[in-house]
Amino acid sequence: MNAPTVPLSRRRFLQMASLAGLGTVLAPSELLAQYRFLDPVRVDNPLAQYPNRDWERMYRDIFRHDRTFSFLCAPNDTHNCLLKAFVKNNVLVRIEPTFGYGKATDLDGNRASHRWDPRCCQKGLVLGRRQYGDRRIKGAYVRKGFKEWVEGGFPRDPQTGRAPAEYMRRGWDSYVKVPWEEAYALHAKALVNVAQTYSGEPGQKFLLAQGYDPVMVERAEGAGTRTLKVRGGMPFLGALRLCGLYRFGNMLALLDAKVRGVSAEGAKGGIGWDNYSWHTDTPPGHPMVCGEQTNEFDLFATEYARLIIPWGMNWISTKMPDSHWLTEARMKGAHVVVVTVEYSSTANKGDEVIVIRPGTDPAFALGLAQVIIKERLYDEAFVKQFTDLPVLIRMDTLAPLKASEVFPGYADAELKNFTKVVKPGEAIPPVPLQDAQLIPAALRGEWGDAVVWDAKTRKPVALPRDDVGEWLGKRGVDPVLTGTFEVTTTDGKKVQVRTVFDLTRELLDKSYDPDTVSKITWAPKEAIVGLARQIAANREKTLIAVGMGPNQFFNQSLKDRAIFLVLALTRNLGFPGGNIGSYAGNYRLSMFNGMPQYFNEDPFNPQLDSQGPVKTRLYRTFESLHFLNYGDRVLREGTKLFTGKTHIPTPTKAMWLANTNSAVGNIKWHYDFVFNTLARVECLAVNDWWWTGSCEYADIVYGVDSWMEFKVPDMTASCTNPFLTVFPRTPLRRSFDTRADVETLLGVSQKLAELTGDKRFVDYWKFVTEEHVEVYLQRILDASQPTRGYRFEELEVKARDGIPALMMMRTYPRTGSWEQIHESRPWYTKTGRLEFYRGEPEFLEAGENLVVYREPSDSTFYEPNVIVARPHPALRPKSPEEYGFSRSKLDYNARQGRHVIVAPADLLKTRHPLWGQGFRYVFHTPKYRHGSHTTPVDTDILANFFGPFGDVYRRDKRSPHVGEMYVDLNPEDGKALGVQDGDYVWIDGDPETNPFRGAGREGREAELHVSRLLCRARYYPGTPRGIMRMWFNGYQASPGSVKGHETRADSLAKNPETNYQAMFRYGGHQSATRAWLNPTLMTDSLVRRNLFGQTMGKGYHVDVHSAVGAPREAFVKVAKAEDGGIGGKGLWRPVQLGLRPANESAAMKRYLTGGFVLIRKA
Amino acid sequence: MAKVFNWQLGREMDYPYEGTRPRRQFAMVFDTNKCIACQTCTVACKTTWTPGRGQEYMYWNNVETKPYGYYPLGWDVNILEKLGVQDQSKPVYAGKTLFEAAPPGEPVLGYLPDDADYANPNVGEDDSTGLMPQGAYLTMPHMQWMFYLARICNHCTYAACLGSCPRQVIYKRPEDGIVLIDQTRCRGYRECVKGCPYKKVYFNPITRVSEKCIGCYPAVEGGRQSQCTVTCIGKIRLNGFITTPDRADEHNPMDYLVHVAKVALPLYPQFGLEPNVYYIPPIHVPPPYLIQMFGHGVPQAIETYKRARDDKRLLGALMLFGSTPEILHRFRVIGDHAIGYDEKGGEVVRVPLTEPFQIRAFFDEARKVYRHNVT
Repeated sequence: MNAPTVPLSRRRFLQMASLAGLGTVLAPSELLAQYRFLDPVRVDNPLAQYPNRDWERMYRDIFRHDRTFSFLCAPNDTHNCLLKAFVKNNVLVRIEPTFGYGKATDLDGNRASHRWDPRCCQKGLVLGRRQYGDRRIKGAYVRKGFKEWVEGGFPRDPQTGRAPAEYMRRGWDSYVKVPWEEAYALHAKALVNVAQTYSGEPGQKFLLAQGYDPVMVERAEGAGTRTLKVRGGMPFLGALRLCGLYRFGNMLALLDAKVRGVSAEGAKGGIGWDNYSWHTDTPPGHPMVCGEQTNEFDLFATEYARLIIPWGMNWISTKMPDSHWLTEARMKGAHVVVVTVEYSSTANKGDEVIVIRPGTDPAFALGLAQVIIKERLYDEAFVKQFTDLPVLIRMDTLAPLKASEVFPGYADAELKNFTKVVKPGEAIPPVPLQDAQLIPAALRGEWGDAVVWDAKTRKPVALPRDDVGEWLGKRGVDPVLTGTFEVTTTDGKKVQVRTVFDLTRELLDKSYDPDTVSKITWAPKEAIVGLARQIAANREKTLIAVGMGPNQFFNQSLKDRAIFLVLALTRNLGFPGGNIGSYAGNYRLSMFNGMPQYFNEDPFNPQLDSQGPVKTRLYRTFESLHFLNYGDRVLREGTKLFTGKTHIPTPTKAMWLANTNSAVGNIKWHYDFVFNTLARVECLAVNDWWWTGSCEYADIVYGVDSWMEFKVPDMTASCTNPFLTVFPRTPLRRSFDTRADVETLLGVSQKLAELTGDKRFVDYWKFVTEEHVEVYLQRILDASQPTRGYRFEELEVKARDGIPALMMMRTYPRTGSWEQIHESRPWYTKTGRLEFYRGEPEFLEAGENLVVYREPSDSTFYEPNVIVARPHPALRPKSPEEYGFSRSKLDYNARQGRHVIVAPADLLKTRHPLWGQGFRYVFHTPKYRHGSHTTPVDTDILANFFGPFGDVYRRDKRSPHVGEMYVDLNPEDGKALGVQDGDYVWIDGDPETNPFRGAGREGREAELHVSRLLCRARYYPGTPRGIMRMWFNGYQASPGSVKGHETRADSLAKNPETNYQAMFRYGGHQSATRAWLNPTLMTDSLVRRNLFGQTMGKGYHVDVHSAVGAPREAFVKVAKAEDGGIGGKGLWRPVQLGLRPANESAAMKRYLTGGFVLIRKA
Repeated sequence: MAKVFNWQLGREMDYPYEGTRPRRQFAMVFDTNKCIACQTCTVACKTTWTPGRGQEYMYWNNVETKPYGYYPLGWDVNILEKLGVQDQSKPVYAGKTLFEAAPPGEPVLGYLPDDADYANPNVGEDDSTGLMPQGAYLTMPHMQWMFYLARICNHCTYAACLGSCPRQVIYKRPEDGIVLIDQTRCRGYRECVKGCPYKKVYFNPITRVSEKCIGCYPAVEGGRQSQCTVTCIGKIRLNGFITTPDRADEHNPMDYLVHVAKVALPLYPQFGLEPNVYYIPPIHVPPPYLIQMFGHGVPQAIETYKRARDDKRLLGALMLFGSTPEILHRFRVIGDHAIGYDEKGGEVVRVPLTEPFQIRAFFDEARKVYRHNVT
């Protein structure tokens, strides 16, 4: 028991060490390690006592740090966590949560509780490894071919103006690191050249010669600047740096003035791309029902619910820091019903789980509505007060009956209920002072007033828009919900009219009863009926949280309209515990609704006084990136142009992207985009701090500061939580030669000033130059309703301590439709009510005037995109023949505008057009816990945990990284395919379009080699037969990554030049997806609120009413490629050992049933 | 072998050393119903303690999906198979422990995993039992199921690693019961790796000594919960000190949850190590599997958890999970708030059982702005 003490030993060891010639280079502990066998120690009972514990200092030393600082981690995951970084020897060594959320207060002194803490996640805690990782972009890089093209004076084909292909070998070319000033100069020169080339009549001729649709060329209005496009990825994530791209776009009007010699009046800026709709995150049916971009609730509203339905929303995987609100609500008695397409991570937190066929969500919701109406479980008062269901529809035209059509001399009611009609030329109040909906007089005139049938007088009566909620009762009208009536119009015509409710009920009863819906959705009838009854029994207490899953099918808007209907029928909208929400992407830029102060500032008259008023003028316009994704095309088929006038894009010739990998690297139909579409783009600049898939194809890559080393502050907030969060400046020194995003905007602007001689390009960024960006940020805060009153400086001080502030919304938690329900205010619709009937021509033509069910456009075993319904007097869509094409034309393009009705019973007899060619599997690509949105995963620790195939030592050299992407398939499907758990498989989408158009043609073998999807297959018992899943968050193969694993000694799928690290050997999850354009999302007539403030409008509006895409749509063929065992020999080891689903050993089978213990029989 | 009393088994059992309990015992409670398998705990641990050479494969903390997830591969299936079927039908354990089932001349029944068993740390992620039919409709308990099991070293009262070490370099700290491997004296025989049934000791091939979870003692010594606890965004964890059932203090949240409410249970108590990480079992999983894993107390724990809605005290204790980085020694529920206290009785944190609903004025007169939910 008398062990020698360590100091004695150490002295002895040191002596021995110096005798051995090691000197004192080694630390004592290392010497101890070498000679420890000399150390005689006896321990009698290590439970009781241990002789010398000085060594424990070792871990205390590891844990010790020199200092800490806070920074904001804000990928596009809606959470935005202030994190605490620990620094030792000037190196960031680890990261922890700040526990500052429970200290957050608002301007009135209200406080959040510590139940909000901790906020962080695994992706944030590894940022230290990214800060110093080898994919950091260490300065400014330019693609060689692009550099040659610029320096060669922009050679172009004389006929078409096209840049020669040899300069545009994106993905196959290499890069040169250049001084920042040089990169800015090259960029600015290219912007000027592109603007010049495509301006005026010669420019238009070039564009037409290059094959752009004439409507797109016309849209550019002869201004070359209209082909210059920008996108700050989810601009809400950086009010300054990302919205700065849109400000830059507005500034390009100065360039147009110079190039075309036009005045400020006639100048046109660049184009800004969308975000929320681009990410296919938006629930496009929300504006169709309530006129609002998205109705939602802060996720902690679960505190007030009794029934919570995560519907196609993998809450547990994608809303991780807010998962506890769900599990705690359940602990406190809320019942959780998970509507899902597999046994997801959220399913294991559900009291009930209903697994439906992917993309059949609208049918499932319509089935619920049918039960609620059939069993008379609906809340009649609520329906009459708050919905358009009592409104009369003309059966001749299928348009809503207007009061002016039946009441001679009828004058539309004057609107007073939180509403103001704005006359032409009348100024509207600044956003903070907007206390009412602002409706342009012209729109008001178009809508007129609706008509209902009064039960008391048995006559039609006008229903002014104001009469929502309690106002209806005050007027004494009691509208009937059912019945067919005849009215005489002012021109003497007898017209049959029916209520929306009546038409809806007939549709539901005929087509969407539980038996039928069960066949379509696979959900058992008792699940449908049971859930409908539960929702009806939990009035004001049912929360439905819909996720991006169902948002990403082509029938997305119908799903929204149908779910809204279920909730409106049961008094579950606008209540703290009863509401609908949609959760995907941090989109709520409208919370900074004073943003126009910054990104629409007039570049001709920039406000250079930090205190002075800002003059805004919109020179930049917005359009949807989906059209570029579609091949820089609009949707035409036969004689029909399906893209509405307000949605038409311009041709894209230059792109500048910041903080977004979704527009190139993780774009839908990625390989078609990079190998076909991108060829027509002449300049692609990307800002990022990590070499992403987008950088692999960029012409200019700007390496910017990581969040941990921000030297320029910024701010953001969230659509799912109530916090206003600042990116504070941090004391961490820059690891590389990086710049802030706004500095790159300034840098290019300076070069534009030099090239044009117009110094306003520089003035526009005055407070960036002067390092006082707080001026811009404060202008935004002051002009935004939820932030007015906050001082940026104070917010930043708090953020440095890890404490956010609370957004000043009307309620905490933010509760969509709360004002409408509790203060009887109209929604942002024509009738002021929740609208379940769409009488506009586009909807009538599409057969979507009533809420119907359409099959998925590709992810189906059956005929795609057909309207599944029995004949109904109000369903009269335009036939393909009326559009000039045959109904038998089912190809990708035609399918989107094909309005064909198939009866439910007949649907199941149809087949997907590729069925006969071996295509059998729905292939969907959701998001997962290990990546956030389009920020994929390649950090070693995370890659190692991303699914079952991680191996940090890469025993199997085929593995692209220390982990890899895989496809989940049902074990029985695997067996039928001859694919074992862990094998590699080829996955092919529609050969006409995937992986890219023309993939089968001669000369394109190298591109096909890179892009055909090869991946591991996992037996995943949680997915039903026929449904295959692949996660969305992996970096895909690029020409460089393929070269890497084919030529590198370590065989990593890592670009030897750029270090880009793919999680696939070949192809990626976007190999089988495509871009989609849905006609009813491209209307010119839908009425909705604008993005910012209370103003209403109609037709296209960025991120509100827009093309949305449908990346969950893919139908594929699968074939075995290689065995799963190491090096392609035999079985994957866990399978061989009997430890995998569907291949269990005897011991495993006993284990699964709990058979290793004898237990008391119940 | 000495005779020691294992309260989890309700009886005495064999152990290589005399039973001595530390002055207080480091313990954790994990609520599996809240675990989301995000691996934030894993990464927190990894970036704090094991980012170096020889540690690449090492996860002192990991989260695995049960039943098909295991790190290392098949660890619990393997040891259960070796131990054979045991009688766990009564509160007093009638089967054999791993010490009692040890082969002659060895302190404990164990096995040394193959290197390749550590290859796929997240194998089985989200894999459920059975085959999901088209149109499955699951009610409680789920017929097809999976759940997440977070794991660290159990800092066992009768640690098998400690009992297996031929050099006695593994010891239990008297002040907090944390089990440590003396990094200066270990010679890497790997008997502890073989002996620990939970496979929470790892051999480092670079330093050639074994390593394991250290209970974040540098944090715990300062009154702070472990790294895996303070970063747990599922708020599934509470880290503190537990006493034996006969000395349970109902105001200590750990004692309350384990000994009073009996809602949290040890992992594989039949192994006989008296592990000190306690799990609230998942309420959606059929009981036989859970009893094999957490012992005979499973049905009662599930019933208790399901009734938490009616038990403010239990609810209060559960709401304190994750609400503070400090170690809570006592807690109270007053009105609609749960309050946690430090060792000296000072208030550390106070959380509402329901986050309040607040309505702001439509017009903010002072700042001249209207407040809307729709902006």
